[in-house]
Amino acid sequence: MSLASSDARIEPGTDTRPPAGSFEEAFRAEHRRRRRHAAMWRLVLNAAGIALFVIAWELIPRYSSWINEVLFPPPSQVFEAFVPLLLSGEIVKNIRVSLLRAASGFGVALVLGIGAGVMTARLSWLQYLFEPLLHGFRSIPAIALIPLCILWFGIGETSKTALIAWGAFFPLWITTFIGVRDVNPIYLRSAACLGAGRLTTLFLVVLPAALPFILAGIRQALSVSLVVLVAAEMSGASSGIAHMMSEGHQLFRVDIMFIGLAVLGAFGFLVDRTFVAVARRLFPWYQITS
Amino acid sequence: MSAAGALIAVEHVSQVYAGRDGAPNWALRDVSLRIGRGEFVCLIGPSGCGKTTLLHLVAGFVKPTSGTVSFAGTPVAGPGPERVVVFQEYALFAWMTARQNVEFGLRTRGVPRAERRALALRALERVSLRHAADRYPHELSGGMRQRVAVARALVVEPEVLLMDEPFAAVDAMTRQSLQEDLLRLWRETGVSVVFVTHNVDEAAFLAQRVVVMGANPGSIRADLAIEAPHPRDRGSPRFAALYSDVADALAAHHGRKAA
Ligand SMILES: Nc1ncnc2c1ncn2[C@@H]1O[C@H](COP(=O)(O)OP(=O)(O)O)[C@@H](O)[C@H]1O
Ligand SMILES: [Mg+2]
Repeated sequence: MSLASSDARIEPGTDTRPPAGSFEEAFRAEHRRRRRHAAMWRLVLNAAGIALFVIAWELIPRYSSWINEVLFPPPSQVFEAFVPLLLSGEIVKNIRVSLLRAASGFGVALVLGIGAGVMTARLSWLQYLFEPLLHGFRSIPAIALIPLCILWFGIGETSKTALIAWGAFFPLWITTFIGVRDVNPIYLRSAACLGAGRLTTLFLVVLPAALPFILAGIRQALSVSLVVLVAAEMSGASSGIAHMMSEGHQLFRVDIMFIGLAVLGAFGFLVDRTFVAVARRLFPWYQITS
Repeated sequence: MSAAGALIAVEHVSQVYAGRDGAPNWALRDVSLRIGRGEFVCLIGPSGCGKTTLLHLVAGFVKPTSGTVSFAGTPVAGPGPERVVVFQEYALFAWMTARQNVEFGLRTRGVPRAERRALALRALERVSLRHAADRYPHELSGGMRQRVAVARALVVEPEVLLMDEPFAAVDAMTRQSLQEDLLRLWRETGVSVVFVTHNVDEAAFLAQRVVVMGANPGSIRADLAIEAPHPRDRGSPRFAALYSDVADALAAHHGRKAA
């Protein structure tokens, strides 16, 4: 307030500048224009990068003698193989099967991992009871369990879900544990003075305070889920993207293997983008507190 | 004031923490203090003299090693909404807007959404922050955050506000207006206030009673009543006299200790 009045003294009423309103309008329009321009430029370069890659991939096998087109089919051939798979609905079916497996395993891990993380962080006796087991099991790569899992559960969905859940559980447990353990005690004390009980404190204070850690765990668990999914499908399955790829391997169809790789790449990318968008949307305060 | 008549009664309380090698560290030794309903008391003393410990004992965050703390005649068993603490900083929930922060204490007691919202907005209005109701704490200045913290505490209608150096982290100009607002709210609501500070000016401006504490071991060294009515004019000779009374009481005990 005092600043505004001293401004008025320095620049008395006889002001020849255009009214502030139109200047601000123009400033805003210019700002918007620049932002749009920068975003467009970025998109153009993104698209150019992809186009360059595809062109090089198309031309090099065709015009060089040192690359075998059967082992390294150009995009036009891969696309030709892709169209019938798409039209027959086979690829869509495989994508759906794979996504369902990844989602069910990840879902189980999400519930168990966050639950275990919260319990072990809040109850020290549970922590001491389970920490040797959890840390011991955590060191076993999920892929090493595939043969055993197939023996126990066969090559059906149970064994895939169990393997993915196993792999995704540990990053979720560890990050939730750290996040909950390190919640600022001032938050807990504020909640207690304001009359919050255990459940209110858990859902309104502890979990949101631990969220930056939990989200990091979720992101890691998502990528682990995809890795374990592929390994499990390759070692015994009758459908799924990675199964389609091993069939391609047996039939010596590199183009089909390439399609599988492209789909898996797209999976990973879209899952991560979706995760970021959902997190931004749900937790507008998250960027700052993380 | 009898123990039964006091709102807060701290009787022969000692609080001992294990220091390095388990050596006992007397954060408080044999402290007794009674605070009446509606009183505005400042606890002042150098850092490490046990001010926060004493406040946390009354809040119910810790149990005394020996002695008793009672509130309205009953022993304090834990934290509760009749004794709300306002911390120095970073106590607002970062994932809630100002309004949601204020609503928190109403949510815990199941006040319906619409009523909760109206009460929270009214509480924000009283600290002149209604316009910032939908902002997150990181979008507020330090002074605004402390106003929200005060609104969040007052909305549950506590009997005492326990404030631990609540304005120490804000700039001097903001601090003065926070102090004036706190006095106004104290008058309007009749709440008791126990206000920890290490700032002589702050104690002289706010308190009806200044409890001077000293360290090693933490204990009460003096208990001064301040008769001057509010609002106090910092430029007046009367205020200068108050200031030097408090400063002298602090210095007397520390001077003697140091000498
Ligand atoms: N949780 C704790 N564990 C160990 N020592 C503590 C703890 N809290 C406080 N103390 C010690 O008790 C003494 C008083 O601390 P405190 O009450 O925070 O003082 P003040 O608020 O006056 O600065 C200090 O020596 C401090 O180191
Ligand atoms: Mg302190």
